[in-house]
Amino acid sequence: MLEVRDDNAAAFEELVRRYQSRLIGVLEHIVHGRVQAEDLAQEVFLRVYRARKSYVPGAKFSTWLFTIANNLASNALRALSRRREVNLTAMAGNDSGAQSLEQMAAAASGLMPTRRLDKTEMAEVVRLAIESLNERQRMALLLSKFEEMSYIDIADTMGISIEAVKSLLSRARLNLRAILAPYVEHGQLPEPRELRGDHRQ
Amino acid sequence: MSDAQPLAAVDEITEQLVAYLDGELAPEECRRVEQRLADDAPFRLRLQQLQQTWDLLDQLPRSDVSDSFTQTTMEVVALAAADDVQGFATGAATRRSLLWLAVTAVTLLAAGLGYYAMHRRVEQPNEQLVRDLPLLENLDLYYHADSVEFLEQLEKAGLFGDDATELSANEEASHER
Repeated sequence: MLEVRDDNAAAFEELVRRYQSRLIGVLEHIVHGRVQAEDLAQEVFLRVYRARKSYVPGAKFSTWLFTIANNLASNALRALSRRREVNLTAMAGNDSGAQSLEQMAAAASGLMPTRRLDKTEMAEVVRLAIESLNERQRMALLLSKFEEMSYIDIADTMGISIEAVKSLLSRARLNLRAILAPYVEHGQLPEPRELRGDHRQ
Repeated sequence: MSDAQPLAAVDEITEQLVAYLDGELAPEECRRVEQRLADDAPFRLRLQQLQQTWDLLDQLPRSDVSDSFTQTTMEVVALAAADDVQGFATGAATRRSLLWLAVTAVTLLAAGLGYYAMHRRVEQPNEQLVRDLPLLENLDLYYHADSVEFLEQLEKAGLFGDDATELSANEEASHER
């Protein structure tokens, strides 16, 4: 990042390559769409480039990067909800999401009542479970799990206290546990109603 | 402990266990948790359930980003950088023009003030002369007075004013005779 600060284009390209997957991976679960996640990620990198002169040596670049990402994602979600363009029912367990789960449940019940889901199905269930969380719980969870950030770094990134981070992570994990417990213990699909925003606290 | 807790309230134990799993507990607190785990089966079960849920997140596929994303990102940044430079150049030209205008305005103002100051300085001596005009017009008369006190005595006697000119004319006539 110090080289980027000194206008080294090759260093900036290396930075993009190194962080793009991680950034898009987190944003994809926040804004519910690959295309939008990529657009936001590009905006994040653009802002990093424009603010390169203000980068302080010694500061954690990933914390700075995801702080920008968190702010942009929050703004994007607010703008989308105002324009009513986002499919909020996807977060609340919309028809398409619920139908996919119901279809999966029907397919499963058609075979064996306790058929275990395959890896792809399980991934989809986990993805929907994460999307049932509210934005802040989701961001804290993703930063903790996939960026392996400490509570202090998550607090800095999200602009909240460490106690708030603890609370968000605990709540997120409890909610996920409540949704996914039947699958984990009995191999059953979670009820679609559990993915309709009942856990947005 | 029931697993069907759709909206379980976050309690201190859950927060403690989550922090323990995340490696965020202080050493002393960590030791207390581990002591309890050894003796308390429900406590242990709760930890396992939280860990299982956490491990399920590994089921999520990691994003695979193509090189085209990197390329388009670099293009976007390059375009933005070019726009910034263009904007700066335009701004610099505008700033130069404004600077020249400011310099011209200050110069004109200074010239105006200087002219005014000089004009006032030239006028002042003339003003002095205008103020002293009555004295100058009667200077010949004042030459006859020895002192200001003598003039004050004459004024008290009522010999100044319109009579002063007539008195001068009479004195001259008497001298001629």
